[in-house]
Amino acid sequence: MPLLEVKNLRTTFRTEDGPVTAVNGLTFSLEAGQTLGIVGESGSGKSVTSLSIMRLLSRNAAVEADAINFNGENLMTKSEAEMRKIRGYKIAMIFQDPMTSLNPVLTVGEQIAEAVRLHLGYDRKAARDKAVEMFEKVRIPSPAQRIDDYPHQFSGGMRQRVMIAMALSCNPQLLIADEPTTALDVTIQAQILQLMNDMQNETGAAIILITHDLGVVAEVCRNVLVMYGGNMVEYGSADQIFRAPRMPYTQGLLASLPRLDDRRQERLQPIKGQPPNLLNLPPGCAFAPRCAYRMPACDQPVGLYDFGNGHVARCALYDERYTEQRPADFPGAPVASAVRVPG
Amino acid sequence: MTMEATLAAPTTGALLEVKALKKYFPIHAGLFSRHVADVKAIDGVDFEIRRGETLGLVGESGSGKTTIGRVVMRLLPATSGDVSFDGRDILAMGRGDVRHLRRQMQIIFQDPYASLNPRMTVGDIVGEPLRIHNLASGKAAEDRVRDLLKLVGLRPYHANRYPHEFSGGQRQRIGVARALAVDPKFIVCDEPVSALDVSIQAQVINLLEDLQQQLGLTYLFIAHDLSVVRHISTRVAVMYVGKLVELAGRDALYENPLHPYTQALLSAIPIPDPAVEARRTRIVLKGDIPSPVDPPSGCRFHTRCPIAFERCSVEEPAFVDYGSGHFAACHWVAEHGGQAPNLANGPIVL
Repeated sequence: MPLLEVKNLRTTFRTEDGPVTAVNGLTFSLEAGQTLGIVGESGSGKSVTSLSIMRLLSRNAAVEADAINFNGENLMTKSEAEMRKIRGYKIAMIFQDPMTSLNPVLTVGEQIAEAVRLHLGYDRKAARDKAVEMFEKVRIPSPAQRIDDYPHQFSGGMRQRVMIAMALSCNPQLLIADEPTTALDVTIQAQILQLMNDMQNETGAAIILITHDLGVVAEVCRNVLVMYGGNMVEYGSADQIFRAPRMPYTQGLLASLPRLDDRRQERLQPIKGQPPNLLNLPPGCAFAPRCAYRMPACDQPVGLYDFGNGHVARCALYDERYTEQRPADFPGAPVASAVRVPG
Repeated sequence: MTMEATLAAPTTGALLEVKALKKYFPIHAGLFSRHVADVKAIDGVDFEIRRGETLGLVGESGSGKTTIGRVVMRLLPATSGDVSFDGRDILAMGRGDVRHLRRQMQIIFQDPYASLNPRMTVGDIVGEPLRIHNLASGKAAEDRVRDLLKLVGLRPYHANRYPHEFSGGQRQRIGVARALAVDPKFIVCDEPVSALDVSIQAQVINLLEDLQQQLGLTYLFIAHDLSVVRHISTRVAVMYVGKLVELAGRDALYENPLHPYTQALLSAIPIPDPAVEARRTRIVLKGDIPSPVDPPSGCRFHTRCPIAFERCSVEEPAFVDYGSGHFAACHWVAEHGGQAPNLANGPIVL
């Protein structure tokens, strides 16, 4: 049984301009102890996905799903009180900006202690000891003194360590990290990624890492889910996604990226056009308007195609029924092994 | 847009020369706003930018890279030092001369949402420099705005629209068109793509490269993304807490970095390829970036440097040319005859 199973998640925001579909029928699952990277550009729905799972969205959001099973229990049927017992306990979350997610008028020690007293029932003394222990684990220097400091007394990297200490204090089974290193400098990012990796080895928690940085994903994640226009467009192991991407969007994203180890000075190959307008998503493939290989079948709803070993992509170009429409210059075709799968 | 003959053939030599430049921001505190300390944003920096090249300036937050861009533009006064542009001392210039100078140097900002006036049409935004510098008016100005919009890949009819009607990438194109309006020689690009989505970044980088070819522009390209900087730069300078620690030709810097900080910085950038990632050794620095209010003594990097020795905390290392214009400020390198330290036991970057 997977640790987390999301089935047909749809999140819609009511806005003055009409309904905005941020997540549009997303289905995926995650095994215990696994690290999954969710990548996408702004507006792809990657953050809304995690906030929908945690039910942390504002009131103008409508979250629908066939099921969101966590440990076999459907989170969609939980009451707000039940969710509060899961959040920060079985599922913890860290965000991009630790300054806005910490309470500025409480010491960081009090904030960690609050979580362990609430979820683990520790008394005041034990909770404080736990906070010191967590500070040691995330390698904050002089932990016994620093737990009495306020968030503003920490640097950005140290604040993110505080967030990680807090998130892991109740031994969660799942840690959702939403752009945890985006606000940090690269030498500090390296420290935090190493810390997250060490912590995972120690606790065995599963991690969902949400980021726009493909490099971070390549470094940290075993599996990668690529989102575009509110839905998954490709899923596979990091090797499959980075070395043999199937979906033209994933291919285009990798081709448009300058690389540190690339000494060629060739022109970058940008993806033409703009990301989709979520107020008005196309009926078919959301990427079709920007795709160099668009064909008529792309304008109808597109299913997933299985390339074996867990690698799937949402792209009609691999469908044998459309061989005649397929542009001759599409490098990926034909793939006889591509099997259409539901979802 | 084609990348054919360079219209304005760049002559050789330095366009911009910076010598011993310092910029301190005073900190005042107490009842009488006593001057208690300084933020030493730039603390003695020397470099030059050659005609037609792109000098990449990289560093982490607080390194002073943005301040350098502002000071060489005369958007901020310098504390001391010399900056000459086209052979003229620009720090000594009066207001009138500075205004004239801005016809030759322009700046593109990071945030395309904050750097365009939301109440002005795109035509007014792009045409404003023409008006200020009395370069064109009426029909001629309108034509020039249309040409500029076409040059940056927008449509002439966009002149009548407002910034909010455009996406981030398109807004950055508007910012580029505004900078080009006065036909400058030199553009400071301050993190021009870091607010943009990955698929849009490449569009703007290509645009900047095309324009450089077409118009013979010289760029100071300030960024924290070392992958983008490698792609666009001719030479690259690395800054750490107000000082340059290394400056070299692009490939020399990325393939044979001399300074331990440059090595660590490069090794910290993840490469989007798991197979390459698995082969790399990462140098994880301990500690945080020091405060520019009270920078460490001697070499500013000694508090985090894995190979620091006694001399490093006492004596400030000189910025020495180790051949072919590969500068570095490191005692270890100086004492080992310009050899690069081997922090990661092997090639840092492929």
